[in-house]
This record gives sequence, C-alpha cells and structure tokens, in this order.
Amino acid sequence: MTEKKKKYSVISDVRYACAVGATNTVVAIKGAVPIANCSPGCQLKTTAMLTFENAFQGSVAAGGGNMPSANATENDVVFGGIKTLDELIKSTLKVYEGDLFVVLTGCVGELIGDNVPDLVSRYQRAGFPLVYANTAGFKGNNLYGHEVVVNAIIDQFVGDYDGEKKKGLINLWFETPYYNHNWRGDYQELTRILRGAGLEVNVLFGPENPGVEAWKKIPQAQFNLVVSPWVGVKNAEHLQKKYNQPFLHIPEIPVGEEATAKFIRQVVEFAGIDKEQSEAFIHKEAEIYYYYLEHFSEFFAEYWYGMPSEFVVTADAAYALAYSKFLADQIGLIPKKVIITDNTPDKFRPAISEYFRDNISEGVSIDVVFEEDGYKVEKLIEEVEFTAGKPLILGSSWELTLADKKGALFFEITTPSSETLVINRSHIGYKGALQFLERVYSASVGGK
Amino acid sequence: MAEIRQIAIYGKGGIGKSTTTQNLTAGLIEHGKKVMVVGCDPKADSTRLLLGGLAQKTVLDTIRDEGEDISLDRIMRTGFGGTRCVESGGPEPGVGCAGRGIITSINMLENLGAYTDDLDYVFYDVLGDVVCGGFAMPIREGKAKEIYIVASGEMMALYAANNIAKGIQRYASTGGVRLGGIICNSRNVDRELDLLRAFAHELGTKLLYFVPRNNIVQRAEINKKTVIEYKPDSDQANEYRNLAKAVIENKDFVIPTPMTQERLEEILLEYGLLDNADDDYRI
Repeated sequence: MTEKKKKYSVISDVRYACAVGATNTVVAIKGAVPIANCSPGCQLKTTAMLTFENAFQGSVAAGGGNMPSANATENDVVFGGIKTLDELIKSTLKVYEGDLFVVLTGCVGELIGDNVPDLVSRYQRAGFPLVYANTAGFKGNNLYGHEVVVNAIIDQFVGDYDGEKKKGLINLWFETPYYNHNWRGDYQELTRILRGAGLEVNVLFGPENPGVEAWKKIPQAQFNLVVSPWVGVKNAEHLQKKYNQPFLHIPEIPVGEEATAKFIRQVVEFAGIDKEQSEAFIHKEAEIYYYYLEHFSEFFAEYWYGMPSEFVVTADAAYALAYSKFLADQIGLIPKKVIITDNTPDKFRPAISEYFRDNISEGVSIDVVFEEDGYKVEKLIEEVEFTAGKPLILGSSWELTLADKKGALFFEITTPSSETLVINRSHIGYKGALQFLERVYSASVGGK
Repeated sequence: MAEIRQIAIYGKGGIGKSTTTQNLTAGLIEHGKKVMVVGCDPKADSTRLLLGGLAQKTVLDTIRDEGEDISLDRIMRTGFGGTRCVESGGPEPGVGCAGRGIITSINMLENLGAYTDDLDYVFYDVLGDVVCGGFAMPIREGKAKEIYIVASGEMMALYAANNIAKGIQRYASTGGVRLGGIICNSRNVDRELDLLRAFAHELGTKLLYFVPRNNIVQRAEINKKTVIEYKPDSDQANEYRNLAKAVIENKDFVIPTPMTQERLEEILLEYGLLDNADDDYRI
C-alpha cells in the first residue's frame, strides 16, 4: 500500500536543494548562463549542496562561485527587485559570452510578485536569448526546479516547430544534472550505449552536449526517452503536447548486462529501427562485461571475510531503484530497507511502489518507503535488524555515523557526499556496473 | 512615568481612519497629551492634516535615497501642537512589498529611538484590512496593545471590521493586543447607531464613540487642517474632543469574538440594511 504523503513544516538532514538549485541544470548546457535572481544565501546554499558537498564536482565558467546572482536584500523586497535584476542582466550580457541566459527567480521575487516575465520579454523582443523560470523554493526542490527550467527553455527559446521528425533521433531525458554526483559519467555511458545500439542521441546536458543547438533540435526528434521513475515525465508530456512528439518512459536506469540489454531492446523496439546493430552491440558488450565478471567471480567465490549479504539504500527514486535492483537481482544481496528521499510527487508514488514490488528479481520484492526527513530516515535504518554477514548501507553523508554504529560497509551515492570526490565516474550500464562492483567490494576488503 | 499607550487604528479603506486619527490626536493635544502618529499606509497621507500638507518625506523614501544610516530628524516632523509625525510610506504602486515596508520602517523607528518616555500616545494609522503579516506589524507583541476599529453603518465597513477582529483575535492569544472598541464615522445610513451598537456588542466590545457626519470635516481637510485647528468652536470640534476624552477614559479592552458570515448577515438584516428595497435611498 502506498502511504499518504505527509506534509512537513520542518525536516532535518535534507537530501536535495530548493528549486533555485536548477541553476545547475542551466550550467550543464554548454554555452548557457544561469542568472540567479534570489538572495545570496539561496544561490550559495543550492550550489554548495549540488556541486560542492556533493562529491566536489566543481562547475564551469558561469556556474559555482562565478554564477551571476542578484543577491536580493531587504531593499529589493520592499521596493521590488526588478531594477536590481535589470542591472544584473545587463552586466551578465556584458561579461559572459553566452548562447542562452536563464533567469531563475527564487522566493523573494516570487513572493512580492516582481514582474520578471515582463522584464525578460523586453530582452527577448530585442533579440537576446533570455528565458525566465519561476523557481521559488517554496514551490519545490531542485528536481521540481529542473523540470520548470526545461519547460521554460522549450517554450521561450526552442519555440514552435512544425517540420519533419527524424527517425532514429531521440532526445535523452535522464538525470537531473549535478544532483547525482556520477551524472556526467552516467550520461556518457548511457549515450554510448544508445549510440552503440544504432540510435542518434540528442544529448541535452553534460560533457557530450554540443551546446544550445541540441536544444533547437529537440522538436526534430522521433521521440523523447525518459529514463527515470518520475523526473522528466512532465517535460516529455509537455513536448508531446507541443510538438506532437511521443515519449518512451523507462523508470529504471539500467545497471549491469542483463538490465542494459533489456533496456536497449525496449528502446530499439519503440524506435522501430533495425535490430541487427543493437543485437551485435549487446553481444559485444556482454562478452567484455562477462570477461571481467569472470575474474571477479573468483574473488566472489573465495573471499569470505566481511562480505555483505544484506543492504539498505537511501537515495532519490532513480538511483534507489537502479542500485537496489542490481544488488538484489545480479549480486544476490537481500534488500532490508529502501528509502526514497527526493520528495517524489504523490501521483508517481503508487507506480514506483509497484515497480519495486514486482520488478526487482524473481522471488524478491521491496516495500519501498518514501521519506525525506533525515530524522525519520535514521530511525528507519536504525530499526533494521541485519541477520547475516556485514551490512551494506548506500546513502548520503548523513548516514556516515549510523553506518559506523551498525558496523556496516558504507559509501556515498547521493547528495550530500562529503567524503567522495568525483571527476568522471559511472555506476550504470555495462562499464559503470563494474565500477559499482569495485566500490562495493573495495569496501569489503577494507578500502574505501 | 506611565507606559506609552500605543494604539492602532484599523478599518475599511476610505472609512476615514486618517481623518479620525488626526482629529482625535488634535483632541488629545488639547488635553495636554504628547502624541506621535505613525502612518502605515503607502499613500503617506496619515499626517497631512497635522502637518498642514503632504510635506513629509517617508521613512522608506529616505531609506531608499540615503540608506539606513540616517538620523531621526530626517524622518520625523513636528506638527500641530507638537505632534510627532512619521510616515512609513511604501513602494511604487504595483511593485515590491508594502507589508515588509511597514516592518522595515517600524524597526527603523525603534532603532532610532523614536519611542521616548515623554510620549503619552503613539497611533498607528494602518491601511485597510489586516491583509498580511506586514500590516499586522503594529499589533505584534511589544507594540500597539490597544486597537480601535473605525466603521460605519455600511455593509462593507462591517465586513471589514469583522475581518479585522479576526486578525486581532489571532494576535491576542500570543501578544497583549486587545480591542478597545468601535468608532463610528457616521455615513448617515438607516439606524446606524443601533446597528453599530449591536455589531459592537456581538464582537464583545462597545461602540466607543459615534462621530456624526458633518461637512466641516471636508472643509477642514481641503484647508489641510484638523477640525479643532480649523474651527475650534464648531460642534464637530467638540465631538472630536469628546472622542479624545472617551479614548483617555477607556478601560474596556477585550479579545474580540468575531462572528460568522451568517451571523453578520443576520444582524444586518435585523437592522434593516438589507431590506426596504423600495425605500428612497437618498441621504
């Protein structure tokens, strides 16, 4: 049964940033510049939560500490912040060479009703590639903000299109940039897989995003591929309405050979393209994957000190699902508790719960818990009685002490991650799954 | 030294809060009281009659132009009979947050030491309804403990007064704010006195004073004066003196008991406001 969503006034140990954190969605597009129209603390805290205390990912020129910010103060509240924002936009246009500028308005401007659309539309009429998005923190978290920003760019920058669609070209809607600290590596792995299978992938974020031209190309795609339990569905629905563009929603990010092969076949089937290339790709990747896994299996069979047999995952819906499934289905570990901490919207919860019940592994079912309050997350994990071997806990830095107390193997897979540094890493698909195994069993043999 | 009586005046927009407050202030001055009037309305017209015109630069305009490092004499003027006059002011219409503006300017007044011990009364003349937290600022803990609602026998004035009573009730449970009564600024409508008495009774308070309608008030306003200054010997000047006396002597401060919409409609019906559709309405 899906529990009724609780309304919180206070939560502790947050695992996301507020909607203004979607500045990082803009940063993830090559040549795009975010303009944070909010208080200085809002810009700083969301950036810290998503790029600093989150495996110290760093940022690009227009992101992180260089991000243009209105630094709204009391004067802007009382007299309105439009003048300050106007000055900031002018300065930003002078200082940054950008192909797209996105104004993200936080609580101050939205509460007092600053007419940002009017100001931005004046720049738009003058030909500047400027977009506004209502990302007030009181409206939601950075995942909510991400979807708002994406739709804003589609409506105000990409614009109308009634031309042809290109068969085999897909728009990839995948992770919320910077939110999962492996997102760059994961984007590359998933893109590699889809291209290997014969699809032309329009990459909208991250290292392989060519720039805003990818965004202009969105309407030409045959369809939108959403790989997430819920983030991005709102955008795909919008695109369906706007460009009459269908979408394929696959809730599960594939980890490991079996899941990835299934994923490829599902996408190829939907695209209706020739299967020869995709099957050849699956065959080749499987060969390499199992070559490595064969080596690993010797260790797996022979080593019997401190190996995990039961696990707990606490993360956003996408990674809680991806990692739980891989650990349970491919490694044979027993799920003791899976907690989703991303404040999943109510309407997606029943389907996600069902997915966890029916699609994990033969004979294995997970009763997933939706809980965003760190205090309760801690209680839930504390209550878990591990019965065999060494427990494995995957979560955020907030679980560090508790994992110690439980004598568990632990590593960080979600924000905040203050004991991990990531430059380029992936735990998904073929290559990433092996890296994920390395991490789990490095912990088992005493490493980090 | 007695504690300063800090009084907030609320009421429907256009009901005559500013006019009543300033004429009442003039009455208090004649009784030898020291008074400060703080206008809490972006229109900044709460001290016009005391100052002989709209000469006041508002607290927020001053902050906007000169920053927060200002002295008290930049924002406070002395008006009729030594009254200290301050206008909170606000942003341009349609932008910014007037409610936050009131919070900002009252904090500024406190920081600059405007509330000196020699004051007997401080009046906050607050715009319209208690529309948000900012407009409730004068009745939060440590500020005005006494409230008067200006009303008339018109239906919308009573709706607004009832809503204001709800706001007072909310703050009364945490702070010390109490309703001192209703001041009727008469519009000469049918059975106005009876209606206002019944309304006040239902709210758990009393009709503190009934100020009759008199065109001399308008004439005094055109001349930028309070009635007491403009025509000290007129009947209306005496009415305001009596209102001042009623405020000085008032000891009945209550937590109001706002009524439901249905009950309010009942009272209006009972006093003939909603029927007599065929009567001649001219007043």
